[in-house]
Amino acid sequence: METILINILGAIATFLLAFVVGMTYGGLRRKVIARIQNRYGPPFYQNFIDAFKLYSKNTAIHHGAMHFLGPAFLMVSSVVALMIVPVLTDNQWFPNLNFHGDLIFLIYIMTFGPLGMALGAGQTGNPNSAIGITRGLSQMVGFEIPWVMALVALMIEHHTTSLVDLLNYQTQTGTWLIFENPLAFIAAILASLGMFRYSPFNIVGAPTELASGPVSENGGKFLFVMMSSGSVFAFVKLTLLVDIFLGGAGNLIILLVKTFIIYMIPVTYGAVNPRYRTEQAVQYFWGWPLIFGFAAIIYAMYF
Amino acid sequence: MELLLEKIRDRIKVNFDLKDSKFNMNERRIDLYIDKKSISSILFYLKEQMGFKHLMHASVVDWLEEGELEVIFLLWAPKEKISVFVKTRLDRENAKMDNLDMIWPQLNTYEREFKEMYGIEFEGLEAPDEFILEDWDGPPPMRRDFDTAAFAKDVYSERTGREDAKDVRETIAKRSGEEIPDFAKKYSR
Amino acid sequence: MYYDKTQDRLTEIIKNFARKHSLWILAYGTGCGAIEVPATMTSRYDAERLGVRGAATPRQADVLLITGYLTVKTLKRVIRVYEQMQDPKYVIGFGSCAINGGMYWDSYNTIKQLDLYLPVDVYISGCMPRPEAVLQGFGKLQSLIKEGKADGARKYKDELDYYRGNQQKIIKNWDFPDYNW
Repeated sequence: METILINILGAIATFLLAFVVGMTYGGLRRKVIARIQNRYGPPFYQNFIDAFKLYSKNTAIHHGAMHFLGPAFLMVSSVVALMIVPVLTDNQWFPNLNFHGDLIFLIYIMTFGPLGMALGAGQTGNPNSAIGITRGLSQMVGFEIPWVMALVALMIEHHTTSLVDLLNYQTQTGTWLIFENPLAFIAAILASLGMFRYSPFNIVGAPTELASGPVSENGGKFLFVMMSSGSVFAFVKLTLLVDIFLGGAGNLIILLVKTFIIYMIPVTYGAVNPRYRTEQAVQYFWGWPLIFGFAAIIYAMYF
Repeated sequence: MELLLEKIRDRIKVNFDLKDSKFNMNERRIDLYIDKKSISSILFYLKEQMGFKHLMHASVVDWLEEGELEVIFLLWAPKEKISVFVKTRLDRENAKMDNLDMIWPQLNTYEREFKEMYGIEFEGLEAPDEFILEDWDGPPPMRRDFDTAAFAKDVYSERTGREDAKDVRETIAKRSGEEIPDFAKKYSR
Repeated sequence: MYYDKTQDRLTEIIKNFARKHSLWILAYGTGCGAIEVPATMTSRYDAERLGVRGAATPRQADVLLITGYLTVKTLKRVIRVYEQMQDPKYVIGFGSCAINGGMYWDSYNTIKQLDLYLPVDVYISGCMPRPEAVLQGFGKLQSLIKEGKADGARKYKDELDYYRGNQQKIIKNWDFPDYNW
């Protein structure tokens, strides 16, 4: 009974941590991009203000019951992925519901969100949403392949499909997996550029290109849920990369430092690049990242 | 160049009936005043036979005192670099002309504009009803007897408070009881 | 405070703080004054420090900028866009054409007084207003929000007959749907 209570409280604490850290990173991203463009940016807590303003809109306009599915599925997918990923190593306040095949489950659950958003966006009947969703799903075909290859390379090398086993391997031997299999790290980082959907792969939600794609009919509280699920999901991806390649984190400070360092890679790459079209993005992902993925698998099998 | 212009004028005079013509040496052009019924044949002839391939512009002048509308076509010959203005007069009450957009396709847009703004009917023109003004049921706006200021005053209500149209700085200073600062005094009227 | 008297003051203060520091402008240039908006957003007169951002659709936006003159054709579309936004929503009138007709004071097709058709919160004068003037206008809007006086949305709902009467007087082909959201 006690453990269940501690687990539930820990789950709520994990969600709050992910929400706060994700939103702060979003604000810091705007600040970094502003400084690159030689101006002061908004304060780092700007995303909280945006979220609260969206929450306190007095009217919310929806187009039927299926319209609620879009934000709901996004939030569900982010929260379920958050519960699986171990946030801190050996800490009972941040439990993770891990089990034996959870890397494969994670690969599945991370693609679940946009599919739900497709249902919600289709209900609105806005043609911009439909075009945005098809572009987003086609782009997902691009970056999923190097990402899965990197994870499969790690799974082959250590004969396990569990995240906690990879973490324990790193703490026991003392070396990080980034040094043991650097090709997998490069493939995973290049694939994560597409997962974050920053420039140059932000054609899905581009505001001037197609009236912001799938988000176009959502305002008020719907947009608040979508924004917060985006921030939580960003935290999940960063923590996953840190856990697999950089050895996890013992306490919160080291976790924040490591995730911030990895977060700067998509942000700074995106601040200086223009946008790719969908077919250019898929061609990019099936070029060098795929070669690195193959090389990682071959390296894992024979060395 | 005067010889060239006279040659053009004589050829047109021989083949069609020309009411009047004028030369303008500075701008290298000749003005031809012709009748309404021969306009399409003259335009075809000028385009095909005399080398005036390029239609620069088409325009309408409203002669209110004489009760006529004058349609002007501005043509340009790229080889000799000479322009010709072809002018016809239409009756104001009953302004009708033939559709001419088989000669140059851009005349379709020009004719739609003339129909909406001046009220000239073109027979055989295939175009939607409206051009720029949406749901317009007043008189054709570009005619000179249409008083736009009175129409605007009638339909749209103006904001009160600027009837005397005095200097803005003085009016605001007087209304709020403030002083105009010294550096701004030199900009007042 | 902003139009819900049953809520307590603290909630309203926090909500108004959030609303005034995150104004999302609809990216819709209704007239020639829209050329000053990108100049305000770039590095020299950075408007993003105030939280001002561009939003793509009316469902996501807070502020509608009427930048310049409005013909009858555009007024029909602008009314439709305004009704699609979610409250609280604000309207800022740019330039002298929104105030009293500007240099098109004697034109047969532009409206002369924006106040009769949409509830306007702030007017910014100029032709076009410079980016410093635009930023000052946003500051004025922020102080209005803080005092709770920026309630154009409530005014539109309460006095809908007045606005509709004015709109139907000049828009002759009235094919709007029945709902006004």
